[in-house]
Amino acid sequence: MIINRKFLLTRIILLTTLVTACGQSEQATPAAKPPTQQEVAEVTQQTPQPKPVQVTEDTRQTYQWYCSQCHGIKGKGDGINAKLLTVPPRNHTKAAYLETRTDEQLFEAIKFGGLSVGRAPCMPAWEHTLEEDAIHSLVRYIRELCDCEAL
Amino acid sequence: MKTLTTLILSGLLLSTPASAGVLEDKNCGSCHRLKAEETEKGFTGPDLHYAGNKFQPEWLKHFLNNPEVIRPAGFVTDPGFLPKTDLPPHISSSKEDANALAQELMDLKISAPTPVTSEPLSKGLRARIKYQFERTFGCISCHQSLNLAGKIRGGISGPSLVNAGNRLQADWVADWLKAPETYTAKRRMPRYKMEPDTLDQFTRFLMTLKKENIK
Repeated sequence: MIINRKFLLTRIILLTTLVTACGQSEQATPAAKPPTQQEVAEVTQQTPQPKPVQVTEDTRQTYQWYCSQCHGIKGKGDGINAKLLTVPPRNHTKAAYLETRTDEQLFEAIKFGGLSVGRAPCMPAWEHTLEEDAIHSLVRYIRELCDCEAL
Repeated sequence: MKTLTTLILSGLLLSTPASAGVLEDKNCGSCHRLKAEETEKGFTGPDLHYAGNKFQPEWLKHFLNNPEVIRPAGFVTDPGFLPKTDLPPHISSSKEDANALAQELMDLKISAPTPVTSEPLSKGLRARIKYQFERTFGCISCHQSLNLAGKIRGGISGPSLVNAGNRLQADWVADWLKAPETYTAKRRMPRYKMEPDTLDQFTRFLMTLKKENIK
């Protein structure tokens, strides 16, 4: 458990750096600064980031296939498991809450699960199921559903 | 000699319908995938091409004769999967048919999973794994199981695990958690990468879930 937590923390820290780096790379080609040995080890395991992230038919299908089991087909938090969970699944069409979350928080909730961002453990981690590109596009899709951006 | 002839004859008679297979006679393939080479057909029932790896024969016999609902929302490849709830149980077969079907199903194997121990867990360890089942891995969001008080809890988009210990083979449970792609190309369940110890304890925990423990 302790090892797991340490591992998770390291990944979150690394991820934050990666996300930041990705945001910057939108303006130009990736920086030529040589990465540290640790970064190289981690980066080689990551999939390349999409630039820019888009919602595609694949994104919608991914949402329908996995997320709608709890979040519902239209993202209203009314999937078939919803009533059976101790904490209701998030309604992705409600801007009031989702605009208080950053894209990074949504990304982490999907990748590492609800607990990683201090939310319900009912939301599992999809880190070994979905590529990072897919998770980024899901974040964009949630933004589309709520018709909102982070404040 | 007479007995032998009778035996051979009765064997022949019995094998006449079985030559095509009871599974085929009963048209099981219209809802279930029975061969590994069949894909993308949108089957409405669970894959059975690895039934011999997955199920316990006694459970199969009982289920086919006294069906119960394991997936209230249907099977994940069913195009109408998500809006559905409260599906009726599987059709019931006579005891004889159920036994014959179970026997054929147990011959359908696609892998040889590494044998694992299904030794019961200590009470403490069971409580720990139950915690992981609910909180670390979030299994309970999609699967019904039994809590420590023997009450049924959990979501219904995945198959019920309330009777997993009687229904499933421990070796298969461990293999499914380790390498689900061996069995199904695309699942609706997250892929987990468990440490070997966790995988072992998780499998043993799932095998403690039995219908007779419902309180």
